[in-house]
Amino acid sequence: MNSDVKHELIELALPINAAFVSAARLTASSIANRMGFDIEAAEDIKAAVSESCIYFIKIFENNSSIIEEDEENSNSFKISFLMDENELIIKIISNFKANKALVVDPDNIALIMIKALMNHVEISVNENAQFVLHMLKKLEQNSLTL
Amino acid sequence: MDFLFNHSFDEKQNVWRVEISGEVDIFNSPGLKNDLIDLLNQKQCDMYIDCQHLEYIDSTGLGCLVAALKTARAYKGNIHLLQLKPNISKLFKITEMDKVFILEGGHHE
Repeated sequence: MNSDVKHELIELALPINAAFVSAARLTASSIANRMGFDIEAAEDIKAAVSESCIYFIKIFENNSSIIEEDEENSNSFKISFLMDENELIIKIISNFKANKALVVDPDNIALIMIKALMNHVEISVNENAQFVLHMLKKLEQNSLTL
Repeated sequence: MDFLFNHSFDEKQNVWRVEISGEVDIFNSPGLKNDLIDLLNQKQCDMYIDCQHLEYIDSTGLGCLVAALKTARAYKGNIHLLQLKPNISKLFKITEMDKVFILEGGHHE
């Protein structure tokens, strides 16, 4: 890994709006390249981040009737990129509250793609009842470029 | 990169020839889906989509291609995808859509 970017954290807050998914994709691609991921792995990360945004947007749209209207900034989500020694850890957190009615569909095509593209994927609800998608891509040694 | 869509009707072969370039994502895929289906409703035939300059497509873009394929098949037609780049070919394999479409040229062969 490029020593100049070790342990850096980048955070991006986006509205639930299809027009800005490309901003997340470009950011992911830029970070992956800066860390030294090869072209294929960088493309995997870019696609996984894009699909994660789609996943959050679809959940919001499909459940908008049960998401509390008075929640401040409920129509947004946050993406954090943590550049660790040998891996990139990406966490996406909704600003809307995860309700029990928010069912995770294992056959969702976006989720299938994310799981195939990343080394580890986990979906959970945090202590603030926010929806969290956590994923990780390992930096292979032969990918290292400085 | 911006998304571009060009099309022409090949009178000699009686097929649509479409070129998609740039990035197809959740923002522009609904428009692309309508455009493809409109063409197939105008001329009920096979469609050849040149993807050599297609840099990226997401799951909603794949969904719009499936919708177009359903329209084509309703008219006994088919959709041929030409010259997919390796990163896009990989997404077709992951979703098993490489078994649904006719893929010609490109990385998958």
